[in-house]
Amino acid sequence: MVTIDLSQTEITAANTRIRDCGRDGLDVEIVNPDARHNIGVGLVDPISVKVRGSAGYFCGGLSDGAHYEIEHNAGWAVGDNIYTGSVVVGGNAGAIAGVAIRGAEIVVRGNMGSRAGQVMKAGTLCCGGKAAFMAGYMMYGGRIIILGDAAARVGQDMSAGEIFVGGKIESLGNDTMIVDMEAAERDEIMQFLERYKMNYKGDFTKIVNAGKKLRYANQEPRARPQPFFVSSNSSNYWNPKVQEDIWIKGEVGRYRIRGYGASKPVPHLNDIAFVKDVSSQHYEPAELKDINLKTTVGGRYGAKPLSLSMPVMIAPMSFGALSRSVKIALARASRLSGISENTGEGGMLDEQRAEADQLIFQCLSGRLGWNVKDMQRADAIEIYISQGAKPGLGGQLMAKKVTPELAAIRGIPQGIDLRSPSRHPDVLGADDLVIKVEEFREATMHKVPLGIKMGAGRVNDDIKIAYKDGFDFVELDGLQGSTGAASTEVLENVGIPTLSAVQEAIDGLQEIGAGDDMDLVMMGGIKDGVDVVKMLALGADCTSVGTSAIIAGGCIACMQCHVGTCPVGIATQDKEHEARYDIDLQSQNIHRYFESLRWQIASITKALGYDDVHQVSRDDLVALTPEAADITGLPLLAEHPALHKPDLGLEVLDRKAG
Amino acid sequence: MCGIAGVLFKHQGSHEIGRTLIEMLDGCQHRGPDSTGFALYGEDKEQLQLRFIVPTEKNARQAAIDNIATLLARHAATIDSEQSVGCSYQIAVNFEGDLLAFTKDIEEHAKLVSVGHTLDIIKDDGTAHELDDLYHVGEVRGTHGIGHVRLATESAVRPEAAHPFWATGFEDIAIVHNGQITNYWKMRRRLERRGFAFHTDNDSELVAVYLADKLQQGESLDSVLETAIADLDGTFSFLVSTPDEIGYAKDNLAAKPMVLYETDDMIAIASEEVSLNRLFPGQSINSTEPAPGTHQTWSRSI
Repeated sequence: MVTIDLSQTEITAANTRIRDCGRDGLDVEIVNPDARHNIGVGLVDPISVKVRGSAGYFCGGLSDGAHYEIEHNAGWAVGDNIYTGSVVVGGNAGAIAGVAIRGAEIVVRGNMGSRAGQVMKAGTLCCGGKAAFMAGYMMYGGRIIILGDAAARVGQDMSAGEIFVGGKIESLGNDTMIVDMEAAERDEIMQFLERYKMNYKGDFTKIVNAGKKLRYANQEPRARPQPFFVSSNSSNYWNPKVQEDIWIKGEVGRYRIRGYGASKPVPHLNDIAFVKDVSSQHYEPAELKDINLKTTVGGRYGAKPLSLSMPVMIAPMSFGALSRSVKIALARASRLSGISENTGEGGMLDEQRAEADQLIFQCLSGRLGWNVKDMQRADAIEIYISQGAKPGLGGQLMAKKVTPELAAIRGIPQGIDLRSPSRHPDVLGADDLVIKVEEFREATMHKVPLGIKMGAGRVNDDIKIAYKDGFDFVELDGLQGSTGAASTEVLENVGIPTLSAVQEAIDGLQEIGAGDDMDLVMMGGIKDGVDVVKMLALGADCTSVGTSAIIAGGCIACMQCHVGTCPVGIATQDKEHEARYDIDLQSQNIHRYFESLRWQIASITKALGYDDVHQVSRDDLVALTPEAADITGLPLLAEHPALHKPDLGLEVLDRKAG
Repeated sequence: MCGIAGVLFKHQGSHEIGRTLIEMLDGCQHRGPDSTGFALYGEDKEQLQLRFIVPTEKNARQAAIDNIATLLARHAATIDSEQSVGCSYQIAVNFEGDLLAFTKDIEEHAKLVSVGHTLDIIKDDGTAHELDDLYHVGEVRGTHGIGHVRLATESAVRPEAAHPFWATGFEDIAIVHNGQITNYWKMRRRLERRGFAFHTDNDSELVAVYLADKLQQGESLDSVLETAIADLDGTFSFLVSTPDEIGYAKDNLAAKPMVLYETDDMIAIASEEVSLNRLFPGQSINSTEPAPGTHQTWSRSI
C-alpha cells in the first residue's frame, strides 16, 4: 500500500503516482484529500484506491478496472464514465453521481444529489439513502437502486434501463412507467446489496421507460430527392421545395428534418477578395515547394500539438451520421495529405484509428462512445458544446441508422430515434467547465491538446470563456456548417454566419488582451483553397472542412442524409447501401481534393508575395459588399485607396484546379 | 460564472471573518480567476461607511475623490475619516437624512459599491490572496460575511462588476451569486419602472436590487428568498447577508452547486466542499447539499 498525502502533493503529481502504482499493481491510500477534485482520474489498472476523507468532483472518473473507496463524501460526478470497476462512497455524493457509466458499480451509502446516473449506459448505481430529483435522467441502460426516497421526476426521459426505488417516489419523469418486478431481479439486487454489505429487507418499485417518446410519432414519407441547389432556390417564395415542405408538415404535424447546412444566402468569404491581383500569377506545384504551409494546433500549454501539413483539418463528423466505410476513407485521406481526422460524436473506430496519423476524439453531451481508453490513444481531445448547423441543440440520429453495431459502440438501445442531449451533464457554466478541463487533462496526462467545438451564437462572449477556461484550440463553426440531421428551421435560422463568427472571435480575444496562443480553427462553408487563405488573413490559425470532403468522396447532395438509405453509401448504416461505397477509390478522391487545396493555398501565398501562409493578414483583403465591409471592418472595394480598376479574378487557380 | 462562499458565527464576539473567507475563496478560485470580493460585517459603527471604486491613475483618482466631496456636501454629509487604497476610496461620514435619496443621487455620479454601518464590501480584479495583500482583508474581524470569485462571461472585467453587490438604497445588505438569471431584462425593466437604477449589466446586481426592494417593503429575508425562487428564472445559487443574517436560495433545477456545513457555532456555505474543507484541514465534515428550489436563513445571536 502506497500512501499519498494530498496536503503535500499536487493533484497532477498524485495522479501520476497513482498510475505508476497501477502499472506496478500496488494499492494506494490517499490521505488529507480535503475534497480536492479529480482524484484518481484516468486510471486503467485494477488496483484499489482508498480515499481517507472526502473527495471533490470527478473522483475515479474516466477510469477502467480500478476500485475506489471514498470514506466520506464525494462531489459532483463521482465515477464519471467508468467502464468497469467500482466506487464506494461512505457518505453522501453530490449531483450526477455515476454519470455516463458504462459498466461500473457505484455505491453511495448516504444520499445522492440530483440527476444521478444521467446518460448512464450500463452497470449499477446504488444509493443507500435518498436520491435528489431527476435520478436516471436520460439514462440509456443499466440499473439504479435507491433504497431511500426518490425526489421528483425519477427516470426523466430515460431511453432504457431500470430504476428500483425502496422508499417513496415523489413523482415519475416523462415517458416512464411502473412495472412488476420479477423474483430473479430481486434476488440479483439482494445479492448486490449483500456484496456491498447494505442491509435492506423492504420492497422495491420498478420504473422503466414507457416507450412513447422513443420514436417520432409520425414518420416522414419518402420524398423525391431534390438536390441542394433546388432547395436553396430562395428567389422564389413558393417554389416546389417550399410547397413540398408545407405539404409534408401538413401530413406529419411537426418540423422536418434534413442534412446539410443553411441554404439561404448570407455574407461569406465570396464577398471579400484579395487586394493584390493574384490571377496573373501561375505556379506549378514544383515551384511552390518552398512555401511553408505547416500549421501546428494546440501547443498553448505544452501538450504535443497537432502538426498539419497545411492549415486544414477534417471537421468532426460521426460514425453514425456517416458509415464506417466513409470514416475509414476520411481517416486514410487525412493521413495521405498530412492533416487530421476527427471522430465526431459516435466513438472511435479501430480502423479509423489505424488509418489516421492524427485523430481528434470528440466528447459530446450524451457521452456516446466516450471512454478513457480511446481518449488515451487520441492525438487531441475536443469537447463539443454546439455546432453551426444547430447551435444549442442536441443531435438527431434516426432509428434506421441506430443499428446493433452502432448501438453497441454508443452504448444505447438499438432502433430508437436518438436525440442527443443539448447540454453536458457536468458543464452547466464556465465555472464547471474549468473543472471538466482539468479532468480531461488528468485523464490524458496533460500530453494532448484540448479543444472546444462551438457553434456560432454569442461568439464574442463564448470565445472569452474558451480562452479563460484554458483550452488549447477552438473549432468555431458558422451558420453554414452542415449536419447529418436537424430541423430545417433551425438549420436556416439559428446562429450567425461564419464571416461574422471569425470577426467576433478575433475581436473578443483582443478585448481581453489574449495573445495568439489559443489556436482558432474556423469552419462552416470552407470550399476551396481561396477560402482557406481568406480565413487565415482574417485571423484564423487553421480551417476545417466537412461537407466539401464528403462531396469530394462521392456525396451527390441528394438531401436524404437523415433517412438512412443514402444511395452512395455515405450517410447510412445499412450494409447493402454501404457496400456501394468504394473506400480505396473515394479516399483517393478526397486526398486529391485536399491536394488541390494545398496547391491553391500555396499559389495564393506566393502570389501575395509571402513564403509562409501564416504571413497573410487583413491588409491583403478588401470587402466587395457593404455587408461584408460592415461585418469584417475591411475597407470596401470602391473606397479602397490602393485599388485602381482591380482585376480580382482567380482564373489561374480555377484553370489548374480543374 | 463563479464561486461563492459565506460564513456566519452564531455567537457574539469578534471572529476572523476576513481570514476565513480568504481561505474559502482561495479553495474555489479555479471557478473564477478574474476578480474577487468580500462583504464583511464588523462592529456597528456610528458613522455611515461608504466605499467607492475610483480610477487608479493619479489625476483621474483625485478628480473622482473631489467629485465625491462635492456630492457629499450637497447632502450635508461630512467626512469623518477616509482611506484611499487600490481601486477604492473608503470614507466614514456623518449623515442624517433619507438614505435612498442620498445614495440614488451619489450613485448617478460616482461608483458607490458599499453602504452601511456594519458592512464593508471590498472587491477588485485579482485573487483572494492578491486582495488580501492590498486591502488586508485577513485582518478584518466580525460576525459574518460572504464572498465571491468571478469568471467574467457576459460583462466586463472591472472592479465594479465584481461581486458582492450592495443592495442599492438599502444599507448593510449584500449578495453574491453563481449562475445566470435568464429573465434579467424583464425583471430589470419592472424594477426600473419602479424607480430603481442599474449601474452594470450584471445579472447579480438585479438580484441585489430585487431583494432590497422586497426587504424595503417590510418582508422578512426568509419570505423574500421564497418569492425570489419563484420570480427569477435561470440557474442560480446565491447568498444574501443582512446585519444579523445570512441566507441562500437555490434554483429549481439545482444546476449550480452549493454545499453547507453547520455546527453549534457556525454555518459555512460554499459552491464546493473543497472550500468548506479548507476550514477543517485533514478532517471529514458532514456537509449537506440543499435540495433544488430551497432557501434558508440563519441569524446570529444579538
